[in-house]
Amino acid sequence: MLKRVEFSGDHLDVLRELMNIAVGNATASIADLLQAFGTMHIPKIAISDIKGLKQYMHETIPNESSHYVTKQLFGGPLGGEFIFVITDEVAINLGNHLYDVEAPNDADIYDAVIELTNILSATMISRLTEELNIKVQFFLPSTEIISGNDLIYLEETAEYSQIIIISTQMEFQNQNINGHIFILAKDAMIQSLKDLIDQKLEELYA
Amino acid sequence: MKKPVDYPNILLDALEHGIMIVDEAFNVMYWNQWLEINTGHDYSNMVGKSLLTFYPEIDYRTLQRKIRTTLRLNSPTFYDASLTNRFIPISRNKISSSLLSTMQLQVTISPYIIDQGMVMIAVYDISDLHELKLTLQKQMEKIAHLNSELQHDKQIIDDNLLIVKTDGDFHIIEVSKAFNTFFGFEKNELEDCELQLICSDKIPVSEYAQMKNTLQNGQRWSGEIEIISKNGQAIWVDAVVTPWSNNSGSLNSYTAIYHDITDKKRLELLATTDLLTKLSNRYKFDEIFDIMLMREHWKTDDTFAIVMADIDHFKQINDIYGHPRGDEVLVQIAKVLSQTLQTGDVIARWGGEEFIFLLSHVSASKAIHVAEKLRMAVEQLRLFVDVRLSFGVSLFVEGDTHATLLNRADTALYKAKKNGRNRVEIV
Repeated sequence: MLKRVEFSGDHLDVLRELMNIAVGNATASIADLLQAFGTMHIPKIAISDIKGLKQYMHETIPNESSHYVTKQLFGGPLGGEFIFVITDEVAINLGNHLYDVEAPNDADIYDAVIELTNILSATMISRLTEELNIKVQFFLPSTEIISGNDLIYLEETAEYSQIIIISTQMEFQNQNINGHIFILAKDAMIQSLKDLIDQKLEELYA
Repeated sequence: MKKPVDYPNILLDALEHGIMIVDEAFNVMYWNQWLEINTGHDYSNMVGKSLLTFYPEIDYRTLQRKIRTTLRLNSPTFYDASLTNRFIPISRNKISSSLLSTMQLQVTISPYIIDQGMVMIAVYDISDLHELKLTLQKQMEKIAHLNSELQHDKQIIDDNLLIVKTDGDFHIIEVSKAFNTFFGFEKNELEDCELQLICSDKIPVSEYAQMKNTLQNGQRWSGEIEIISKNGQAIWVDAVVTPWSNNSGSLNSYTAIYHDITDKKRLELLATTDLLTKLSNRYKFDEIFDIMLMREHWKTDDTFAIVMADIDHFKQINDIYGHPRGDEVLVQIAKVLSQTLQTGDVIARWGGEEFIFLLSHVSASKAIHVAEKLRMAVEQLRLFVDVRLSFGVSLFVEGDTHATLLNRADTALYKAKKNGRNRVEIV
């Protein structure tokens, strides 16, 4: 069994601060690139196992509607999975906004969702990794429509001992666009993140 | 314009996917060999010209936004590759099994020289993968359809067939809704119960063990059994029990399908029962008699006997007291004879005032002893009139037939009558 990585209060503070900067960047990028002006919530950070993650998603995502769930992997010294979740209604609003059509088709909607995910992941993760002086590689995102809020299939998921969950919410009221963001890192990557934060702390206090 | 021959170009031309470099105004700065071959536009045609010239159908507003995002964020952007191709159309030459006439592309727009507004667009042919996905989707739809039909059929079975599933130790693990409804049980009420518990105790333990044995040998068992409903009513059913093996071949469950045969049993009972005395009738007796004759393992001291009994002077009872009182005598005698007989032996009304018995696993002395016991039981009966019975016994010996055995019993009975009645004789 893998040893649990213990995050101190200092580690969590640094991570929280880095993520605050990251969401600020993301908001600015969306305003600039997609002409949508809104806010993003202060991220919540939790360390859990896979069952805890499933539970967390159940509590965060409403069960009533269908969701476009876009997942994008990122690799490098800090690797993980970026998940962006919006309801089908919001996805249509997004398609409307980006493609400027009354009734966007499925392809428009999928592409719009991918585009927004790209911007969110690139700004948030890049900002985080920039602060930590590392580079990451982004992989092609993929979207699937999931009915309800069962976004994690336990039977298809390896038993990671630890998962770090960074979650936030974005709201662009004029465009009726809002969604949930989860950034997940597991086992070895959590240790890597801790080491990088340690370096950052050393830099700060050197 | 000739493509410069240098290492980066050689490398880019060697790639098995398309690489182009464009600026924010869609001007092409580089076009690799893969694109030359697959689009039919060579490097010299493309470089320095706008993509718009060759591909006016692309959504350039979206492309521009993606290029801008790539440049601003210094990070790759992507086209969604899951539905239709939204970038340049490239013909596909696969004929044998293609679902797609143009390539399904995975398109990645990466930053190239940011300060000059240039991006590198990589296009990967993912048509085979996409085809597989489409085929898989179709298969999934088929499976979903079949699954829905199966569910429907399962529902019909659950609602209409009386089914009980047990584990390898005959403990109930699943019961159909129809079974619960028919026998008055609640859902899950029978779970974990031993199968034998719902069967009537009229079924001999040996027969139940035989059924288990047959099933444990991997063979199907079928037969008629009585099941006790929640309110205690015994209901006859026709049962077919099938053993099921797991992947390693060991038996792990049994499925019993029952069919209510109450009406059949009622008719059968009517056809085989004497209405007055409720004893088996001659037809039923003959049936059992024939089965006994077919057995081949009878010995002198372990055989079976036919006993015929006749009420002495029964005609006088009828004449003096009337037929209804005569019938009453018949009923009472039938009752006491049945009660005196031990389990496994058979009694039937042979006709008029005659009864017949089949005693199994007896010797001559044992048969006489049983007949004597029956005679005394009637003798001790206190009715409005004293009644006595005469008995004639015949013992099966090798070579006997239905007729010979009955004849000898009849002769013995005649002898008993002749020798003074209320006695037992054997021939």
